[in-house]
Amino acid sequence: MEKYSVLKTLRQMVGRAFRENKRIFVYFIIYTMFGGIYPVFGVLLPKFTLEELSGEGRPERLLLIITVYFLAAGVVGAVTAAMAHLAYEAISRLRLDALGEMGKKLLEMDYRYVEDAKFYEENERAMNACNSNENGLEGIYHKLYGMLADVAAMGIFLVLIGRLDIWILAALLAHVAVSAMVGRKAQEYEYSMKDKLAHQKRKEEYYARIAHDFSYGKDIRIYNFRDRILDNYNREINGYRILLRKIKTREWLLGLAELFFFFISQAAVYGILIYRAFHGMSIADFTMYYSAASSLSQMMLLFGEKVNYVIKEGQYVHDFYLFMEKDLSGSKGTRERIKNGTLEIEFKDVGFSYPKTEKQVFQHLNFTIHKGEKLAVVGVNGAGKSTLVKLMTGLYQPTEGEILINGIPAWEFDKRELYKMFSVVFQEINVLAYTVKENVSCVSGEADTERVWEALEGAGLAEKIKSFEKGLDQMLLKVIDEKGTELSGGQSQKLCIARALYENSNMVIMDEPTAALDALAEAEIYETFNRLVGEKTAVYISHRLASTKFCDKIALFDKEGLQEYGSHEELMAKKGIYYKMFVTQGKYYNMSGKEEEACG
Amino acid sequence: MDKLKRLGLFMSMSIRISPFYIILLCLQALAGSGQVISGVVLMKYLVDELIGEKRAEQLIFLGCLTVGINVFLHFVKKSLERTIEVGQQYLADKMNEAMAEKIMRIEYAYLENPYYLDLKERAVFAVRNQSALSWMIYAIAQAVQSGMSVAGFAVILFTLSPILAFFLVAGILLELLCYGRFSKYMIKFRNEILPVNRRYGYYFGLCCQNEPQKDARLYGMGDMLSKRVVEYGREIAQWLGRLKKRESVFRAQLSVLNDLQTALCYGYIGLRVITDRFGSRISLGAFTMYVSTALGFAKMVVSFGEQIVELSQFLSYLEPFAEFMALTEETSEKEGSIVFEGPVQTIEFDHVSFCYPGSDREVLTDVTFQVERGQKISVVGLNGAGKTTLVKLLCRLYKVKDGEIRINGRNIFDYTYTSYMKTVAAVFQDYKLFAFTLRENITGKEKEEKDMAAKERLENILEEVGLTEKIAELPDGAESLYGKEYEETGILMSGGESQKVAIARALYKDASLVIMDEPASALDPIAEAEIYEKFNRMVEDKTALYISHRMSSSVFCDKVLIIDGGVVADFDTHENLMKKTESLYYKMFSSQAVNYQL
Repeated sequence: MEKYSVLKTLRQMVGRAFRENKRIFVYFIIYTMFGGIYPVFGVLLPKFTLEELSGEGRPERLLLIITVYFLAAGVVGAVTAAMAHLAYEAISRLRLDALGEMGKKLLEMDYRYVEDAKFYEENERAMNACNSNENGLEGIYHKLYGMLADVAAMGIFLVLIGRLDIWILAALLAHVAVSAMVGRKAQEYEYSMKDKLAHQKRKEEYYARIAHDFSYGKDIRIYNFRDRILDNYNREINGYRILLRKIKTREWLLGLAELFFFFISQAAVYGILIYRAFHGMSIADFTMYYSAASSLSQMMLLFGEKVNYVIKEGQYVHDFYLFMEKDLSGSKGTRERIKNGTLEIEFKDVGFSYPKTEKQVFQHLNFTIHKGEKLAVVGVNGAGKSTLVKLMTGLYQPTEGEILINGIPAWEFDKRELYKMFSVVFQEINVLAYTVKENVSCVSGEADTERVWEALEGAGLAEKIKSFEKGLDQMLLKVIDEKGTELSGGQSQKLCIARALYENSNMVIMDEPTAALDALAEAEIYETFNRLVGEKTAVYISHRLASTKFCDKIALFDKEGLQEYGSHEELMAKKGIYYKMFVTQGKYYNMSGKEEEACG
Repeated sequence: MDKLKRLGLFMSMSIRISPFYIILLCLQALAGSGQVISGVVLMKYLVDELIGEKRAEQLIFLGCLTVGINVFLHFVKKSLERTIEVGQQYLADKMNEAMAEKIMRIEYAYLENPYYLDLKERAVFAVRNQSALSWMIYAIAQAVQSGMSVAGFAVILFTLSPILAFFLVAGILLELLCYGRFSKYMIKFRNEILPVNRRYGYYFGLCCQNEPQKDARLYGMGDMLSKRVVEYGREIAQWLGRLKKRESVFRAQLSVLNDLQTALCYGYIGLRVITDRFGSRISLGAFTMYVSTALGFAKMVVSFGEQIVELSQFLSYLEPFAEFMALTEETSEKEGSIVFEGPVQTIEFDHVSFCYPGSDREVLTDVTFQVERGQKISVVGLNGAGKTTLVKLLCRLYKVKDGEIRINGRNIFDYTYTSYMKTVAAVFQDYKLFAFTLRENITGKEKEEKDMAAKERLENILEEVGLTEKIAELPDGAESLYGKEYEETGILMSGGESQKVAIARALYKDASLVIMDEPASALDPIAEAEIYEKFNRMVEDKTALYISHRMSSSVFCDKVLIIDGGVVADFDTHENLMKKTESLYYKMFSSQAVNYQL
């Protein structure tokens, strides 16, 4: 990992802003010019007024002074105030665009990261860099925008005070430096505790979440878990309080050093100014220098805080940039998809375990799905049926051995090309808040309307869609559009099948598509299967055995891997595990009402 | 006024949670305003001394006093700050907890009502995303501080000239008018941008959530999804641009008003030094004091006003929170005074009709049937037929619209909430397990039972549901923590295993009515069959209701209740039902059975 350097990160940020939107810089320059001199008026006004008052005391001069002040300060102040907000939109857009890029990156990264909880944890900081207007990327932009004006104003005051008395300046600088250091140290300490804090917060959040999640409501009530949850919740809140108190105590102790220097600076300012006024400095100068000194000290303190802030938030941005530069595609191959015909998939001595886990899901797995074959994959839970799909489609790579597609190693294909060769229908139904057409075609805009209708026809959903007023342009779900349509479970699954039909793929995979459906909807899905598949190679995964009726071959997996392979008749004749499963599951389905003996 | 009531609710909650917090806040405010005011007053004496007698010892004394007070109050402020920051977090956490507790206490019927779902979302949004609670605490603290400073300054100011004070207030009102207008715009803006934000959140969520990722890749949806994110992002930026343009005008106005006020103060107070036309002349020291006071006063009144506006803004954000906190609680029901004792003898549904709150659609219509003690009933129907609703009614999670549900001859709402809940055990489709130990998930008790009989019972049940082997594999056995959400050391279980734990939990609970809503959907054929075969034995003489899409599970039940479109279509034994070859039951059964014919 590249080490964090504020300057480098800032350079990157400024460069990007410059490329994206030069208007920001125009606003910035105007703001800096006006914002830099505005504070000076506040110091000059008392000086000139007092000079006049302690001198000749002419009312018309007094009037002149305040008029000039009002005109000058009024204009400069108004411009400053207006300029402070004008670049906001452009700056927000920089963040939102960055966030959009990140979204795209997440959608395109290798699937293995998706299921890796650690991945999100490790990259949390990077991903949070663009989350809000006030922090991270955008926060820094906003701060930077104002900082040069601060520098200009401070410069003026520094010169002013420095020319009067270097010791006042030295004392002020010392205080600000110590204060910034203390702030930084406190931040560092908090940062060193951040894992503990985050961990504690996560525990606390867990209880907040389950209480807030209404789907826990039934079980909490029926099994009376409420008091227990509250007790634990309370404990975690207190745990967090203790941690926080520890941090704040440390901060307070460090603050004692700051207090000492605060004393020094106060003593220097008052002491030296009083001493000088005692020895002849005019009262007008006395007040001017006094207010300049306190303004400067305030400005420097705030500036120090801003610098600390930029350094701190810069780490998030740094992580974000690194994250965006990282190659997460996982794609090594360059080969294009197979254009025509269907596929043959060969598992050659395949071994697999999920990243960062020990457990071998497969070891030395060898088998072939032949061209045009309909294969039913059945097996107990945890036998790795779904993993098989992920391997075949390239969502994961085997840790050992290889998978050949029509004789070509799967990794030689470009990932995206590889994905295009498969149409997969999963148990989890993903209907998105897009139009019917977009849901089926998976593109916004240019879709082949005729083919969309064909696909819907094939999935047995065309009638339903025709009944919508807007037809294919009907929005689905109610999240985005209140007039959106919510499809039933069966209809949603048919929509996914239409999606699979529309995609011109070489092979079809169904992964437990009916697990959440009722008996009649299930039967309908089985019927569409043949239409969906046609001549293509197909895999149907289920822990129900019904699928085996319309498939040519059956592969039975258990926790040890592939156990039985053959046609239904062959496996029934073998009287092995498959036979046992079929009989146990089917025994109550005996239409005659007479019970079969379970064998094996 | 509603807002005041809400503020009252909030204050009483805060005081209950942490009474010291408010006191500390006031002390801190006092130190803050003390520092400002003492500086202003001491400066007067200093200036007067400098242009007057210039006594060295007096100057040293004043200088030391100023520095001393400043440093002391600085110290006090910093010290209080430390406790207050911790307290603020604690208060915010406890408020969240109070909301969580409320959610667990309110009548369940609220939880599935779209209106209350939305109310909760809005309340949570205000509390979490807008951090309305924490900001409100902050705003109150700030308001107290500026309020005190205002009072202090006002006292000094009146010693000079009430006219000036009045004059200042006029200017301040003008500023507040600007502020009020802008703040109104802000509220409108927030309400308008909320739906845009929500849409953005949805589409961005699609990029980050796990669920759509497989489809997104395999179907090449990447462009379609990220395009929306960018589009809505642009829209949000434009919205912000509009807001900020408005704000820049407002800030510029404010800045000009401020400068005008400053100029006028200097002018008027300056004149007081050189002429006696407006009153007795004042010293230069007094001039510096009054000028700082007048300007400080104006600044503080404005920020006080801002904080009040802000406070009222947050109070309006908290409206859904207050509404939510006032919902009826489950146990506060007046009805239900009889303690339910003894096992369930009969369950009667007597012409029960039901619609979900906030909807007109009748989910159940005129449902009538009776179940006797010890019967095992299978409830069958298509998706959306109303099976799960029936179960929820029986669990007293909802009240029926018409008709009555009776157990042992009495309306179920006649029994006390607690005693009734002890009678029912249920495994729902969307059952949830908690990040407790496995044992606690099943027994519901934090401490392990010392009682040997109870231990044995647990072990028996684990054996029955087929978890013994799995638990033996775990390093901590039944004491292992479920899930990794809470602690890294927790264990992950497959869907099937988790379902077994949920079933064990229902069986362990010594209830005489057991309800299983699709208890075995994630189990493989063998485990499913095992569970079904053992069910009858496991539930013993308890009364049981099963819902399953696996029609085969009806075979071993005493009776099958067919629900079709919210109506009882039939209620008979499997054998009798299979004789009616035209019926829905026959169709459903045979559609699955055909796949299992040897």
